[in-house]
Amino acid sequence: MSEEEASKILAELLWTEKYRPKTLDEVVNQEEVVLRLKQFIKEKNTPHLLFAGPPGTGKTTVAHAFAHDLYGSDYRLYLLELNASDERGIDVIRTKVKEFARTKTPGNVPFKLILLDESDNMTSDAQQALRRLMEMYVAATRFILIANYPSKIIEPIQSRCAVFRFVPLNREDVVGRLSWICGREGVKCDQDALNTIYDLSEGDMRKAINILQTAAALGEVSVSNVYKVVGLAHPREIREMIKTALSGDFIKARNILRSLMVTYGLSGIDIVKQIHREITSSDIDLPEEAKVELADYVGEIQFRLVEGADEEIQLDALLARLVLLGKKVVGVAPKRVGK
Amino acid sequence: MSVSKIPWVIKYRPKKLSEFVNQEEALEKIKTWIKGWLSGKPEKKAALFYGPPGSGKTSIVEALCREYGFQLIEMNASDYRREQDIERVAKLASVQRGLFASKRIILLDEIDGLALTGGADEGAIEAIVELIETTKNPVIMTANNPWDLVFRPLRDYSLMIEFKRLSKSNVLEVLRRICAAEKLSCDDKALNFIAEKSEGDLRSAINDLEAVAEGGGKITEEIAKQLLRARDRILEPFEVVRKIFWSKYVWQAKLSATQTDLDPDTLMEWINENLPRQITDPEDLWRAYEALARADVYRGRVVRTGSWDLLAYVTELMTAGVALAPRNDPKSKFRWVKYQFPEKIRLMSHTKEARALRDGIASIVGEHIHASKAKVLKDVLPYIKIIFENNVEEAAKIAISLNLTDPMIKYLSPSTSDDIITRVRELRKAIRAEAKRIESRREETQKNAGKNEEARKHQQTKSSLDFFVKKTKH
Repeated sequence: MSEEEASKILAELLWTEKYRPKTLDEVVNQEEVVLRLKQFIKEKNTPHLLFAGPPGTGKTTVAHAFAHDLYGSDYRLYLLELNASDERGIDVIRTKVKEFARTKTPGNVPFKLILLDESDNMTSDAQQALRRLMEMYVAATRFILIANYPSKIIEPIQSRCAVFRFVPLNREDVVGRLSWICGREGVKCDQDALNTIYDLSEGDMRKAINILQTAAALGEVSVSNVYKVVGLAHPREIREMIKTALSGDFIKARNILRSLMVTYGLSGIDIVKQIHREITSSDIDLPEEAKVELADYVGEIQFRLVEGADEEIQLDALLARLVLLGKKVVGVAPKRVGK
Repeated sequence: MSVSKIPWVIKYRPKKLSEFVNQEEALEKIKTWIKGWLSGKPEKKAALFYGPPGSGKTSIVEALCREYGFQLIEMNASDYRREQDIERVAKLASVQRGLFASKRIILLDEIDGLALTGGADEGAIEAIVELIETTKNPVIMTANNPWDLVFRPLRDYSLMIEFKRLSKSNVLEVLRRICAAEKLSCDDKALNFIAEKSEGDLRSAINDLEAVAEGGGKITEEIAKQLLRARDRILEPFEVVRKIFWSKYVWQAKLSATQTDLDPDTLMEWINENLPRQITDPEDLWRAYEALARADVYRGRVVRTGSWDLLAYVTELMTAGVALAPRNDPKSKFRWVKYQFPEKIRLMSHTKEARALRDGIASIVGEHIHASKAKVLKDVLPYIKIIFENNVEEAAKIAISLNLTDPMIKYLSPSTSDDIITRVRELRKAIRAEAKRIESRREETQKNAGKNEEARKHQQTKSSLDFFVKKTKH
């Protein structure tokens, strides 16, 4: 093995990270956002920022590139990265912010940055506490909040932030980037395959690159490999579970559910969302009005999970509903009860 | 499966009036009353049989019909809210025996159920009173406790017949008979224990005997004691669940929940696990699950708000809400079903290691690519797994760059992990060798006092290799 080979292995191997733009100039497609941010860099001042938009549109990337352009290559000294869904509550966040605010600021910029990802996952109480933190440490820090749904951020925080909306990436940008990566990696890829990846990833760059790298690992980036990857990545058990419930076998459906949660580590909310996608798809044979009725209940279950209910019990209730629906649809309507 | 066989409580119901034990007094009164009906001059048009559970009230009505040739028209707790059903029964009751039609007895079973199914609606009581007034056939009602105020009109219209609590020896006698019929080898002490524990409730005694016999082999006192504990003591989870499912009243279901040292969360798991085994009618199942899911919503609110007051609703919904859900198939809850330890708890402890690994990988990757653990599990790990299952070389490199442990590699690729691990070893060895080579070359370059570009580059590679070597030495 040569030195070059050895250092290649130690280099970044996950393409999403390897090909993440390092500076604002490398960022594609979010011209509006980049233009405004560059202005802040020029002034060496910034308000709190709120980056909102669908997954894989570059919110985290832009935040890092912004910090890079502001502080230079050792920007990580001045950036505290937190993830609201991984930190255990607002108290932990408060402690970390407090400690970070105490460290010294870089010479040429009078503040440091706190990046809070998935901030829309915080309860509104936690957000109120966050608002106070933002005010308390505003002298030495600025917050960059990242959210998929800006509407889930409380009004007092929104009004304290400059809000940046990230739009889904368009076809040319995604396909162009994928094609460029293929060139750098020396991977054979055909144009149809890249277009298919775009269709399947819905403008989500991270997802697109994950599919690309995985398809490449299967040998080549072809349309059939792309479909194979996406098929393997989405547990087929969800559809199987729905069909089993509709056929009346509750206990078997529940066993599938359990293996989905334990083996794949899928959260209840992810499963509910996929169930929703499945029942509205044409692959599940249900009368249209039954789908509407079901959508209402699926939504109720999702809300309960967001509120903090137990994943398995709520999903079991949903399966019981499917069993009942299955029986009705098959025509053996259960006995009517009450008036 | 035990589900399909006839439960012993039904199989061994007395067929003849003479087979009933210890209810002579009640039997005399009943016979006189029925004879009154047959001669056309009944003392009262209705009779109310009351007494403790399992004393034979319903069974005696069935035997009565068989012996005197009546057709039995039966209604029970779950039917009382359906006005059309009461009307249907009233119509049947009001018709006098025709030439070809058989004589009928109208049985309104478990009227105390009225108080719980619809919140004692007076409409139903009125409808029953009307039924009694117009009936041309004997009407029999049963109740555990007929002294509730709302039943007063019914008491006024009825001949009150009390059923005595069975004595221990009465129960013992029946248990012995069943043992003989089932050709079971029963230790007398075991039967004694079951009889003692039943407190005169023959139905529960028979169910208990069936439960103990389920295990097969000789029925000994030790086994019986192991499986069934006395009522007033802390109950085993199996028994608590059974008591909850078999409850007919809200208070009964709630009381059962207090007879366990399981915490509410664990009890909920027990109920969840066994609910679909006990209740199978789809609509009943759905109703039970919605009650359980609502209980869970309240549990979430308790946790979130710290209002422990709300725990009362959790308990009520998960016990009574579930127990009273069977309406289409109300008898289903008395069916003998073998309960199971909550699969979820078992699964969680069996998969603890695998989950820790999975979450460990997700944390490493998440930190690496700036994403939360949940996002990695959902959006990234599935792809990494495909790479690990299909491309040994690429997998090995990723494993090295993320510094994954062997168990983590095994988790990501159960089928090709051995190849990947071997390849990881090879690569690591080669990298270490390379690091050594660079080291010696650097020394040489330093000796030559060359401060050129190449040296700087080596230095850089060296430091990252050093770091790596340090990382992999564990």
